[in-house]
Amino acid sequence: MNDPNTPPLIPQPALAAVTAGAPTPPPPETNLDEQVPIPNVVSAIESILRQPRRVLYQLRQPGSGRLIAAMAFVAVVCGLIYGLVVGTFSGGTQFWAAPLKIAAGLLLSALICLPSLYIFACLSGSPARLVEVVGLVAGLATLMTILLIGFAPVAWVFSQSTESIVAMGALHLAFFLVSTWFGLRFLNAGSSAHADRTGGIKVWMIIFILVMLQMTTALRPLIGKADTLLPTEKKFFVTHWLECAKQSDETSQSSSLTR
Amino acid sequence: MRAATATIQVREFPALLGGNPATLKDWAANWQMSRLLMCVAVIFAGAGLYGAAMGYWRSPVQAGYNIVKFPLVVIATTLGTSLINGMLAPLLGLNLRFRQSLMLVLMSFTIAAAILGSFAPIVFFIVWNTTSLAGQTEIPWAIYNFVQLTQVIIVAFAGVAANVRLFRVLQAVNGSQGVARKVLFAWLAGNLFLGSQLCWILRPFIGSPGLPVQFFRDNAFQGNFYETVFRAIGHLLSS
Repeated sequence: MNDPNTPPLIPQPALAAVTAGAPTPPPPETNLDEQVPIPNVVSAIESILRQPRRVLYQLRQPGSGRLIAAMAFVAVVCGLIYGLVVGTFSGGTQFWAAPLKIAAGLLLSALICLPSLYIFACLSGSPARLVEVVGLVAGLATLMTILLIGFAPVAWVFSQSTESIVAMGALHLAFFLVSTWFGLRFLNAGSSAHADRTGGIKVWMIIFILVMLQMTTALRPLIGKADTLLPTEKKFFVTHWLECAKQSDETSQSSSLTR
Repeated sequence: MRAATATIQVREFPALLGGNPATLKDWAANWQMSRLLMCVAVIFAGAGLYGAAMGYWRSPVQAGYNIVKFPLVVIATTLGTSLINGMLAPLLGLNLRFRQSLMLVLMSFTIAAAILGSFAPIVFFIVWNTTSLAGQTEIPWAIYNFVQLTQVIIVAFAGVAANVRLFRVLQAVNGSQGVARKVLFAWLAGNLFLGSQLCWILRPFIGSPGLPVQFFRDNAFQGNFYETVFRAIGHLLSS
């Protein structure tokens, strides 16, 4: 039997949490709530918002494909819904074009950046498998689009009360950046959990944002109207924004003269 | 049996990218043909895909040429410098056998090729978003320079990442930072010297907008990379 005067041994992860200070949460293995499987789509949405560490834990388990598929499904559906709200600004063709472009643009951006994320994860010393990295990207997309749905009512109100494409563009851009920030925070938590170095992941985050921003220009128009569904001229996103701002400035000046 | 070996090699790939010095040192010491083939396969896939993305800006035909040419430069550089690299290592204080030094250089190029390959979709996306050469009345030099600059940044990043890992392994082999640095710089100098000339012979890769798409330039074996650089510096100073 144990000597009653000898204190019980503290498990190593718990000890690490104590020595590292109070703000450091214990690893997922120590919290039983985080080990509960995620059975369906609703549970996946709730988990990614309330218990992201539960999602991260489940992504490391065998058979995480179902969770990844569920998150990808949520991301596409939420992307389509937010796209519908974006389309209400111009109406007509944009009612179906904007949702399709936003969902497709998100998926394409994720696919374009996925190989480099896997390589960056490996370079940073993480033992993450490709499936886990795919899961992290799916989680990033899910969290981003769920948050965009949260912003959708606000975006809709503004889209019904303004005629300025630049103002709506800036608003959607702000919502996109806030959502992306939270999404990337989730991805960073997952990818840096076992990594020795996180510099590469941060570089990847910048690349992902740039690819997403360029995608909005490559698939334009998302907000306004155009003669063709996709652009005939290729532009860098900053050039496109500056041209839109200039055009809007000229329009507002000419309309103020006629008022 | 073969499938099992292939699975093991694929599983080893993240370990290679992670650059654990002890693991890589062990790989260099214990020569395995399957591991060597994995490195060659990754170089052909990664460098080939990246080369295709790079050449696609000029034309799809150039992209096709680059699938073959870019990995060839890497493999030819590795083999061409293997002898001198194997000799320089012991001379500079690192007790490596020829096979070990060849494997270490090959692994470092494999890491670089994997990074380049992972950037291929991004480079394709960048190229797809730039103005096409078709139907242009004027040569878009600004876009050409932008595409060139993008390649320089990505290739430099891949090279630095690969060499940082190689340096750690060299240090693990000898224990001395100074010796590892000397050997790394000696190997780098040799690889850069031959690699630049091989790139010159196998040019074009991106393809100047003013010149036709070709596998080799007609004057591929005329002059060399360094003559051109010196001549360019001369022109710059005299103008």
